Amino acid sequence: MNTILVRHKWEPYLWLLPSILIMTIFVVFPIGIVFKLAFSEISKAGIVGGFVGLSNFKDAVSDPVFGTVMMNTIVWVISVVGLSTLFGFIMAMVLNQEFKGRKLARSIVVFPWATSLVIQASIWNYIIKFEYGNLNNVLLNLGIIKQAVNWRASYQIEFIWECGVGIFVTIPFVTFCVLSGLQSIDAAYYEAATVDGANFWQKLFHVTIPLVRPSLTVSTVLNIIYVFNSFPIVYTITKGAPAHKTDTLITYLYMLAFYDQRKGPATALSVIGFVILCLVAGVYMMVSVRKEREDA
Amino acid sequence: MIRGKLSAQSAQKNRLALILAAVALVLAAVLLSLPVVQFTTSIYTKRSANTFVGDEKYIAAMAEAEAVLEQYADAGIGGSLKIDESVTERVNSKGETTSLVVLSVQHSVRRSGWDFLRSSLTPGRMMQALVLCAALAAVLAALGLRGGLDLPHRDLTGVPRGLRLAACWLSLAAVLLVPVFAMSVTKTFSRQVQLIVSGQEVAGAQLLLERIDHFLYNGAAGGQTAALVAGLRSGVTAQLWLLLPVLAVLLCAVILLYKGAIAPVIARGALYAFVIAASLLILYPFYVMFITAFRSNAETTDMYFLHMLPTKWVWSNLIDIMDRGVLRYLMNSIVLSFGATAIAMLCGIPAAYAMARMKFKGKNVFLGFVIMSQMFSPVVLLVGISQLMNTLHLNDTIVGLMLINAAFNQAFAIWLLRGTFISISPEMEQAAQIDGCTTVSALLRILLPMAAPGIVTTLIFVFINSWNEYTISTVLISTPSNKPITVGITQFSSFNMIEWQYLFAAALLATIPVVILFMCIEKHLAAGLTSGGVKG
Repeated sequence: MNTILVRHKWEPYLWLLPSILIMTIFVVFPIGIVFKLAFSEISKAGIVGGFVGLSNFKDAVSDPVFGTVMMNTIVWVISVVGLSTLFGFIMAMVLNQEFKGRKLARSIVVFPWATSLVIQASIWNYIIKFEYGNLNNVLLNLGIIKQAVNWRASYQIEFIWECGVGIFVTIPFVTFCVLSGLQSIDAAYYEAATVDGANFWQKLFHVTIPLVRPSLTVSTVLNIIYVFNSFPIVYTITKGAPAHKTDTLITYLYMLAFYDQRKGPATALSVIGFVILCLVAGVYMMVSVRKEREDA
Repeated sequence: MIRGKLSAQSAQKNRLALILAAVALVLAAVLLSLPVVQFTTSIYTKRSANTFVGDEKYIAAMAEAEAVLEQYADAGIGGSLKIDESVTERVNSKGETTSLVVLSVQHSVRRSGWDFLRSSLTPGRMMQALVLCAALAAVLAALGLRGGLDLPHRDLTGVPRGLRLAACWLSLAAVLLVPVFAMSVTKTFSRQVQLIVSGQEVAGAQLLLERIDHFLYNGAAGGQTAALVAGLRSGVTAQLWLLLPVLAVLLCAVILLYKGAIAPVIARGALYAFVIAASLLILYPFYVMFITAFRSNAETTDMYFLHMLPTKWVWSNLIDIMDRGVLRYLMNSIVLSFGATAIAMLCGIPAAYAMARMKFKGKNVFLGFVIMSQMFSPVVLLVGISQLMNTLHLNDTIVGLMLINAAFNQAFAIWLLRGTFISISPEMEQAAQIDGCTTVSALLRILLPMAAPGIVTTLIFVFINSWNEYTISTVLISTPSNKPITVGITQFSSFNMIEWQYLFAAALLATIPVVILFMCIEKHLAAGLTSGGVKG
């Protein structure tokens, strides 16, 4: 038994009460407000009118920018989550080895995670400036390039940089999630595999990956949510310019709500974003739970 | 028997290593006597407009160029001299064809590794170090064989072992010195020359020019040297890069002598190389933040600024930002983060306790509720949150931010705390309960002290999240004196002007405490993040 005795049936609920209260007020209420606003008429001044059905959604979706923004969001989430998971996994495999300075390396890897995104984004914004950016400065100094390179020649390239910064700041999180999974693997599995003559790749695919899958699932689901909702990187580096061509859903809805004062379409986009997130995370969790059962 | 077999094996290996080392040394010596760097100078240039190939003006110009060539050849400048000509024909607006002929006398000279050894220029020093390292490595490795060729590497002790180890490091240094030499030619040497040519006062410029004259022009240029090197271009030849694999063979050979095997050492080296490269990449933005924070405004936006460090450290940037309200922002951030952490813990600990220790209906419903709240970042709900805050009259207040940060960190706090509580056996609490202890005192007196590391981890994690939060604050806070630091620093970047040095000085202050805190909990955090979810 890992539970303790409770004297009254209602006691556990009392323990939960503060948490439920604060989450209801500050998470559930805003959700309700967003859903209500999404179906209401809102004037430019912010006065909420009556029920208008799906007209806010129509407004949001029919905007020609919507397609670009959704495409950007998909590219953003898939590239950042995918590549940071790959690199984070490699990083975790390396940090799981015994070597001198491993503690120091682990502390260094945590750095980008600990920094505020808006600060990281500002630094990278400075680094890739064409006229005086530090990247050109360093590369010129090392003699790798002979002339300053324009690292942000077009908005597509700028968007790639934003994805890169996203990957850079997400890697530590994946690394530490996978690392905790790796450290809980019993060394006996590897010994058995070695005795059976398994090579590095066989051990990786038949021992390591199945055993760290739970950690990977948690980190990937959380990552999808965080990356989808990430705001400061795009907002700091390009602000979605030019003409929302580098916006993701989140920065776009921020612009709609607080710059253009179009709260109706903005809340409709919030709802769309929420539904997408629930679907993606739900599907991923279901698939990986099924996989785990198959493996077991 | 076995012993004898082992010795025979090691003798074979050691002999192989010796042969490899000898071959590598010979090859390196050969490569060094081939040209490793080519220097090209434009001695003389003559542009003649309205000139066509073969006409009078062309012949005159050509004669002039040839005269210059003769003159330098007679002076014994060495190397190869040739005349380059380029013709540009164009039809002008009147429909007439015009033509521009440019004749230039090019001098190119190649220098071998041994030539560099004898020069006293900076690249020469690098070459001396390189040759010294490789030669010394070979000598030490040979001396290290004193224990006998058939001595297995495991039995190596004392002086022979030390000598062989030193040989390994020396040959590694020799390998690394190859790119260093290349850079000293294309960067340092070129920079020195540029400085002299641009007329800046450089100590020992005259001496340097004399040395360059002797090195490149057989001392024939004399007073003309400065003019000649103005257009000096230097390029490294393929032979130099061939040195890399050759010296790598030497390195492998001495490693074989020391360790008896190469593959594990190389794998190890690759591991360290990866870790070092990754660490440098991760630290790079922090390096940029640090150096930019202490530059002058002019240097941060100077297109031609080519130093890795500020030429003058402007520590007063830190004082300047204090006058711009940064102290206030930092105070706000501290209040905000402490408040949010306290609220999150006060709500989260009881909830996590119930989730970990009590059995009740709807437990999974609550868990689902917690996970779902994770789905929403506050950003998606921004419109809703700002409406709610208006209704509650908490808009533009630090208290409002505190409550929101606490609420959005509930999921993580409960998650982490529940994991910690579950990992602690409930026996002590159960025993205490039998003695008549209430659930409240069981939590306060027994569980919390035992869960202290997990609680500190959660505490710091929530603190950091609140400290780094940016998006909500930027929407909710409009009064400057209520801004937290993450929002406050953006005042240094407006659309038309960004004061990078102030931006990064403030960012530095905002980052240092958090990074330190994060390093403290790094070990516990990852374990908590995943185990809390998996062990259920």
